[in-house]
Amino acid sequence: MLRAELWNLNSPVWIVAAVMMINYMLLFRPINVKRMLAILSAIALIVLVFISPVGVLADGYLFSAHMVQHLVLLLLVPLLILISLPSERFQRLRTSGILRGNATPIIGWICGIGAMWLWHIPSLCSAATESTGIGLLRDASLVAAGLAFWWPVFSPRQEQRLDPLAGIVYLFSACLGCTLLGVYITFTTISVCPAFTNPTDRINIVGHLYDLGLTPTVDQHLGGLLMWVPPCMLYLSVILFLLSRWYSTMDDRLSLLPQRPVQAGSQL
Amino acid sequence: MTTQAIESTAALETTLPRERLLPWVASVDHKQIGIMYMLLSVIFLIIGGLEATLIRIQLAIPNNTFLSPEMFNQLFTMHGTTMVFLVGMPLVTGFANYLIPLMIGAKDVAFPRLNAMSFWILAFGGVLLYFSFLTGSAPNAGWFSYAPLSTKPYSSLLGVDYWIIGLAVMGVGSIAGAINLITTILCLRAPGMSLQRVPLYVWIMLMQSLLVVLAIPPLNSALALLYIDRSLGAAFFEPARGGNAVLWQHFFWLFGHPEVYVFALPSFAVISEVIPVFSRKPIYGYAFVAGSSVAIVLLSYGVWAHHMFAVGLGPAAEIFFAAMTLLIAIPTGIKIFNWTATMWGGSIRLTTAMLFAIAFLIQFVIGGLTGVMFASVPVDWQLTDTYFVVAHFHYVLISCIVFAFFAAVYYWFPKMTGRMLSERLGKLQFWLWLIGFNGTFFVQHLLGLMGMPRRVYTYADLPGWGLLNAVSSASVVFMIAGTLVLLWNIIRSLQHGSPAGNNPWNAYTLEWATTSPPPPENFSSLPEIKSRRPLWDLDNPELADWKFSSTPEDTLSRPTKAKTFAWLFVVSEAIFFVLLLASYVIFNSQTDQQGPTATTALNVPRTAAFTVFLLASSATFWLAEQGLRAGSRIRFLTSLGVTIILGVIFLAGQAIEYKGLLANNITIDRNLFASTFFTVTSFHALHVFGGLVALSIFWIFGQQKILTPRWHAPVQAVGIYWHFVDVVWIVVFSIIYLGVL
Repeated sequence: MLRAELWNLNSPVWIVAAVMMINYMLLFRPINVKRMLAILSAIALIVLVFISPVGVLADGYLFSAHMVQHLVLLLLVPLLILISLPSERFQRLRTSGILRGNATPIIGWICGIGAMWLWHIPSLCSAATESTGIGLLRDASLVAAGLAFWWPVFSPRQEQRLDPLAGIVYLFSACLGCTLLGVYITFTTISVCPAFTNPTDRINIVGHLYDLGLTPTVDQHLGGLLMWVPPCMLYLSVILFLLSRWYSTMDDRLSLLPQRPVQAGSQL
Repeated sequence: MTTQAIESTAALETTLPRERLLPWVASVDHKQIGIMYMLLSVIFLIIGGLEATLIRIQLAIPNNTFLSPEMFNQLFTMHGTTMVFLVGMPLVTGFANYLIPLMIGAKDVAFPRLNAMSFWILAFGGVLLYFSFLTGSAPNAGWFSYAPLSTKPYSSLLGVDYWIIGLAVMGVGSIAGAINLITTILCLRAPGMSLQRVPLYVWIMLMQSLLVVLAIPPLNSALALLYIDRSLGAAFFEPARGGNAVLWQHFFWLFGHPEVYVFALPSFAVISEVIPVFSRKPIYGYAFVAGSSVAIVLLSYGVWAHHMFAVGLGPAAEIFFAAMTLLIAIPTGIKIFNWTATMWGGSIRLTTAMLFAIAFLIQFVIGGLTGVMFASVPVDWQLTDTYFVVAHFHYVLISCIVFAFFAAVYYWFPKMTGRMLSERLGKLQFWLWLIGFNGTFFVQHLLGLMGMPRRVYTYADLPGWGLLNAVSSASVVFMIAGTLVLLWNIIRSLQHGSPAGNNPWNAYTLEWATTSPPPPENFSSLPEIKSRRPLWDLDNPELADWKFSSTPEDTLSRPTKAKTFAWLFVVSEAIFFVLLLASYVIFNSQTDQQGPTATTALNVPRTAAFTVFLLASSATFWLAEQGLRAGSRIRFLTSLGVTIILGVIFLAGQAIEYKGLLANNITIDRNLFASTFFTVTSFHALHVFGGLVALSIFWIFGQQKILTPRWHAPVQAVGIYWHFVDVVWIVVFSIIYLGVL
């Protein structure tokens, strides 16, 4: 983990991070601490999945590392970005075409689940791993698809958010979608991403990985399970969040109500 | 007790048997159907109990010869299958049928006739299963019928076939029943009862019914494949001919594990009603109980492979499934704390119902903890297929289905009959069962740790085994005695139990607002519903719940019954097809296949042309709907007629394809490509045919000019199904013909 070759500290991702940060500071003043934390976490995650061993190993060595990168870019980063957007600002915006398109949950769903499926078609997956250009295209498209996917749930525009129950159905079916893909990747005998089966060993680490038990078969198992379990856990957490939102629709009125007297045992 | 109820009971006793039976057999009333479900469950409980007793007699002493090995195999197979499908399922469905409409203030379930069909089809499935005894060979491959033992070369007699057909028939009944309950809960709630205000029983049963809709289809696809193996000579599960026996385990447990929660959730539902009422407090943390049930539905789908640790899934998969299994203990644990906290500081009334509820809580925790032990892969390897497993799942299932539902019987019997059960006999029954159950099953933990294997008809006289088995067998007597006490209690109470009145327990939910038993239309008037405990509010106006805490107001909007039904049906069918397609992908991604494959055997352009016809039919159906909405009968009839013709052309295309394949000697038993191809496409064709029948019925209705506006929703519902069939074909076409994936 600490070997210098496993880190890619002079990655151009810093530029992306800087641009994001500056833009956010310029666009969304005044700064709110919570939202600031969200955007900082998003940027930190983007930087980490490219400079850390995850990013280095995802570059042709480990399918499972690629999967971590894929999921962080598709699910976590867009979610945090949406949370970081101040809703007041978007409330005032006139509905533009793109925003309206995103409001249709079916499109968001197809973007989110489609991105998982599309980029794991063997030829596309290998191409994106081997060519930097296609790889960049994939990474950008993942973030975009993720934004579209989370929009109906965490849109800064209140009226474009799905009703909590509909949101639960939305996420539940998404979970089935990624479960299917995860099950397929885990149990299939063919290689989902052939680029990873025979890596060019630039940093002399393949032998070490094999010693750890991370052979291509185990690696693909891990990748499939990563596609399957963590996204579903995330969806489940959001489902529970939506449920709590649904149950407390009237919270603000609660504080005005009188306190219930302590129920004595004799009461019937 | 109302005079009306007494009169009706008296009237029942004086009429002729035939006149008393017919109203039940012909009934579409949810209360009568609910009671029939329960009676069916009691009948099979006695049968399944007798089977268990025979098993325990055989195991009472070492080297016993009371039963032959073959008979022993049949008995444990039938005991398991009976208890799961013919005792557990009818019991939970029966209570849900009886209680849910009453609890939400509805007159009946959403589709009363479908409800009757679900019941009778289940009873029919039960008869089919037991009919196998008459053929001389009952099923004997265990309740999960593992392949290849269940395939033709190893089980050549008819037993397994009866098992397959019986289960498939019962599965259809269960799905129909579950869809009916979900539609009832979503569409028929009384004004004021927002979904956030439904009793926890209703909410948890909503989750349970959803789980049934999602979990039974995998079983049905597995059964379909196994039956095709056995009767048409395919080899899905025969490794000797290229099949995959582990696939059966995946499919079966994809159903089997959620099935555990199909049983656990109803008991959670019952307990969440009984404990608050007898603790004189509202449930502690309603949203947590409700939310954790949602979590259980989702998680229960992701843990099936923990039944398969001994198969050798590979370390990565094992670690993940172990972690998931540990996770699912969390939402269940949350509930245990909720119930305990509800009792904390309450004024607990230790009625028989409450005693059973508390025993459930403790025993379920024991069963849950041994379950968490199994999540650890090495422990599982050590203990799998021993009596430790038997002890574990009996602690879970008997706590859920027996103890929780004894609580339900004592709690709701007064509502169903208008008479109270004897508390004295009830407590006697409670102690008999407590001693009998723990005596029988607790020692099995020890036997399992000592390595006694399950499903083996006898055992050697090893140190301690004889004594522990004798204790286990002897304790069965207490359970039998307890059950007889219950039956005696019921008979006695029906004749001269004390009248119950509307609300004998001072309970909180709507079913207690009407007479006991309720009139056919359930309610003459409903109290105002402004909180989760409408009867508490009614009885204690100055302490009413809504004055102290608010719940979201009812928006009064309810989904359409027909469309809700159609969507749920489509979801369950979609899962069925996904599993069939999964088997296609699995078997056809192997490159070493002999004989015809998709690329060599199929005529893609021709099928593409016929596909266009099917897709066009979706468009013409849309036009038909537009016509109906515009009130134009001619437009409706023409477009619908064209839809039907397009569907028929598609089926003709399929027939041409099949004819060509058969002419080339490509039959379903040729190789795995042929088996999967014919299975997937013919199930799809069957669905197209079903859709055509439905469309034709509406076409005839249109001809006879009886399509009033109230038919719009059913037409839309059929449309949802028809579009679904088209979507399935797009997926089938892309995977099989175009070779995507």
